[in-house]
Amino acid sequence: MKKLFFIFICFISLQSKGDDDAQKLIRELNKKFYALNDYSANIFMKFDIPGVKMNNMNGKVFFKKPNKFRIRTKGIFFLPKQNPMQNVSNMFLDTNAYTTVISGYEVIDSRKCAIINMIPLKNDNELILGKFWVDVSNPLIIKSQITTKNNGTLETQNYFGDLVQYALPSKIVIHVEVNKMKVPKMMAMDLKKKSSDKSLANTKEKGTIELNFSGYKINTKLPDTVFTEKDE
Amino acid sequence: MKEFIAILTNELYKTIKRPRTYIGFGVIIFICAMLQAAFYHDGKEILSFVTQQLDNVFNVQGNILNGNLICFILLQTLIVQMPLLVALVTGDSVSGETASGTIRFLLTTPGSRTKIIVAKWLAGLFYTLILLLLLGFMALIVSKWIFGTGDLMALNSESLTIIRGDDINWRWGWAFLIAFLSLGVVASLAQMLSCFIDNSITPIVSVMAIIIVFTIIGMFDLPSFDVLKPFLFTTHMISWKSLFEDPIPLSDIYFSSIVLLIHIVLFLSVSIFYFKRKDILT
Repeated sequence: MKKLFFIFICFISLQSKGDDDAQKLIRELNKKFYALNDYSANIFMKFDIPGVKMNNMNGKVFFKKPNKFRIRTKGIFFLPKQNPMQNVSNMFLDTNAYTTVISGYEVIDSRKCAIINMIPLKNDNELILGKFWVDVSNPLIIKSQITTKNNGTLETQNYFGDLVQYALPSKIVIHVEVNKMKVPKMMAMDLKKKSSDKSLANTKEKGTIELNFSGYKINTKLPDTVFTEKDE
Repeated sequence: MKEFIAILTNELYKTIKRPRTYIGFGVIIFICAMLQAAFYHDGKEILSFVTQQLDNVFNVQGNILNGNLICFILLQTLIVQMPLLVALVTGDSVSGETASGTIRFLLTTPGSRTKIIVAKWLAGLFYTLILLLLLGFMALIVSKWIFGTGDLMALNSESLTIIRGDDINWRWGWAFLIAFLSLGVVASLAQMLSCFIDNSITPIVSVMAIIIVFTIIGMFDLPSFDVLKPFLFTTHMISWKSLFEDPIPLSDIYFSSIVLLIHIVLFLSVSIFYFKRKDILT
């Protein structure tokens, strides 16, 4: 009985230590998010989306707290519905809305990362579960897996350059899963092409969107008009 | 040569003077204006049908509904209807004259029968060219004026290709050239049938029947049809769409263009061969 009690105490203390570690990492991370009010940067986007052939694009990205976000570019591009650049810092800063727990550790690109599970405290929250791989030595989100009610699961991987003090990545790779594209031949007027295997019609295929950032300008007091004015 | 130019001028004059010539122009203007108005009011809803497979995952950003997309849709829609408009004029170039008896007077002119048939063929191609130029003006220039310019989201049965706005005008040029070749096949076929038959309606209806049957064969994925498809000119008429793929399947486009050219030469040769031996009995 004493043994059992001892194991229980150990488990509880380890668990609370895990929680404390998670809180500590998030506090460190939030310090970086707090320091950032707005930014603008050049963005270079590479798309590898199944069923979509699209050239790489250049543009300019703008962000302002709490969640104003815009990519200004000439032309059509696709971004995931849950935009990690817009939502993540906002999600972390609202510390009363979630609880966290470290579920393990993993080494990514020779960085030791704590896997922090973020669970919302309210049922009406869009987030179902957030899983973040946070660098233990210098708290940064290296990888994330966010599951929301309306938009499924989105996985991203972040690569950092000079602006680690603001937790701003130099590259984000977003992993997406999309259904195989299928349009009736009659509608697409594809008389030359043979229809593909119908059994593959509902299969999901994996793709990536790579966003490369350069020339960050931090806290320049961006006017709100940047987010509303029309493209040239 | 003077003789030939005189015959050609006469044929062009006849084409211009006939009221049915203007039906085609009217139809093009009406269809383009109607579809442009529909897209202006309900374009986003219509497009959501295309993008719905991606809408679950992505926010599609940028001006999708632009002049280039409208032109692409119009060209895709009208390439099936335009052969009727072309056949309407070229389908009775010989049979109309045979039915009305004016062919006798035409053949009393000093020009050879070959020159007459080539002049009629060129007049038919001239009409086709004007029809296409009008389509180009209405579908591309007017659409760009109404909807603005931008990237083209070209739809194929298994993929979407985004063609950047600054890389598109040359594609339109070549697309309209291939469309001209395609309609040239229809004009040549209609004239060939017009040489065989002595009334105006039958060649026009026959051309449409051939195009409908060939298009239906092209639409179905049946192994027995797959053997036939490469030999049907309708399969190659749509090859302008390949210009809006990435990468462009150049060898396919060359092959289709050659097939279309061979059809034109074949139909024209048969027309000349038959017309030179044709007994004029009316």
